[in-house]
Amino acid sequence: MIERHLAKLRARDEIDADEEAAIRGAISECRDLPADHTFIRAGEELRASTLLLDGLICRYKDLSDGQRQITELHVPGDFADLHSFTLKRLDHNIMTLTPSRVALVPHENLTAITERYPHLTRVFWFLTNLDAAIHREWVLSLGRRSAVARMAHLFCELFERLRIVGLTVGPAYSLGLTQEELAECLGITSVHANRTLQELRSRGLIEFRAGRATLLDVEGLQAVAEFDPGYLYLERRPQ
Amino acid sequence: MERFFFHLRNGMGWVRDEEGCELPDLAAARVCAIGSIRSLLKDEIDAGRIDLRGRIDITDEGGRLLGVVPFHSAVELVLEDGEP
Repeated sequence: MIERHLAKLRARDEIDADEEAAIRGAISECRDLPADHTFIRAGEELRASTLLLDGLICRYKDLSDGQRQITELHVPGDFADLHSFTLKRLDHNIMTLTPSRVALVPHENLTAITERYPHLTRVFWFLTNLDAAIHREWVLSLGRRSAVARMAHLFCELFERLRIVGLTVGPAYSLGLTQEELAECLGITSVHANRTLQELRSRGLIEFRAGRATLLDVEGLQAVAEFDPGYLYLERRPQ
Repeated sequence: MERFFFHLRNGMGWVRDEEGCELPDLAAARVCAIGSIRSLLKDEIDAGRIDLRGRIDITDEGGRLLGVVPFHSAVELVLEDGEP
């Protein structure tokens, strides 16, 4: 059930059997959520953090005219809001993009982990730092990369994040994003996203149709994106 | 809500919209098309060359043409000198 999460952690650090049991034991329940469902709203009081087991979810913020900015995508194995453990309410919403299965980890159980498992606590701290690093990279994309480079970068990022949790098949992966949602990640419109996809396809870099992304030329795509996976901290470094 | 499709023709060729967007009516679809053109033009401004000869064709699910939004209708150009 939490295999993706363990794969994500074990790509970076040693997680022993006691710690694995502590994570499993901290889960109070699992829920199946439909697609396009905002299940955490900004400002609401939270008593549990959500771990994504299967599916695709996002953090987003929006403006009064309905414009939405997706600020991070979450793949299986990610906590969507480990930061709600200390923040208690969020400054952003969290929504499913595809039907998703999530596990709830009550904050009181996270408190117990911080008291009994100092190493696992540091690993969880690393996870929130990793989210911050991803946000910084998205700021760079939204502020400075061209639409083509921004889209190329997102596909490179998702490839690495899905690869370490075993969800890539060769150079391809499932990605249940509509053109509109893709546009909301990139700060452009759906038509612009479609045009940008066509450009990447015509340059032989990527194919994205019917919820499946195929990196046709990984090195070429990384070059267009100026993708350096350093910000994903993929190396093993015991905390 | 209806599903509208936004097919783009500009200097880069023809980009067919296979997904479309759910919108309340054709007026909302035109607003969406104009926003899309402006989004595309921002990129062109960054590259230093603006081509206003493109257009967006709005169609329904069956491909019936409901409206055409030329690029030049999405922006107002002020070219002449004079008092602002």
